[in-house]
Amino acid sequence: MTPARAIALNVLALFALAAVLVSAFVAQFLLGELPCPLCLLQRIMFALLAIGPILNIRFGPRPSHYALSLLAAIVGAIVSARQVLLHIMPGDAGYGTTLFGYHFYTLALMAFVAAIALTALMLLFDGQFAQGHAAKTSAGPLATAAVVLVIAVTAANFASALLECGFKACADDPVAYELLKG
Amino acid sequence: MEFTALFLAIVVVMLIAWRGSRALALSLSLVVLVACAATFLHHATDTLKLSF
Repeated sequence: MTPARAIALNVLALFALAAVLVSAFVAQFLLGELPCPLCLLQRIMFALLAIGPILNIRFGPRPSHYALSLLAAIVGAIVSARQVLLHIMPGDAGYGTTLFGYHFYTLALMAFVAAIALTALMLLFDGQFAQGHAAKTSAGPLATAAVVLVIAVTAANFASALLECGFKACADDPVAYELLKG
Repeated sequence: MEFTALFLAIVVVMLIAWRGSRALALSLSLVVLVACAATFLHHATDTLKLSF
């Protein structure tokens, strides 16, 4: 795998992460389902996952960048697994609506496990690291768009969390935006 | 409030990763990761309203 091909896959990963965060927003605004603290933490871990690809695009592929994504995905998987286990008792309706029959935290767990597997797969190909520090090139328009998009969606999540929680602890079962309350 | 702060921290780290120093971006990413783990562990010990 050449560095250019690896960077193209990292750009794809950024678009995929942005899509995950945007779909969470769709559920929040269209269904009126505000994210709970564990939900917010999973969104945070998806955002943190994006830093590895951003570094790969900017500085060229490095094992340390993939390691960062792996660590973020592991913590994300632990957080989403906890939420799955909190609602695993028979008869528990779960938290929030479902998509394709799965709650969002279950889908998140699947996504984090997939991220771990895909990142490990990327690390199999040493060719992308062959040029070392010389692999750093200027990012094309698609790569720039992917980076800008994921930063924008993360910034939108910051604004949403601020509106939802205000300047105090976030509610366990949020139903209203604290800063917008009259 | 801590979740809001974590989102803001990640935006800052993303901007540093895109425009700033690689070493700083990596270091701050690890700091944020530890903060995320600490936030999770803090909330993991909360008393839960059990549904059964």
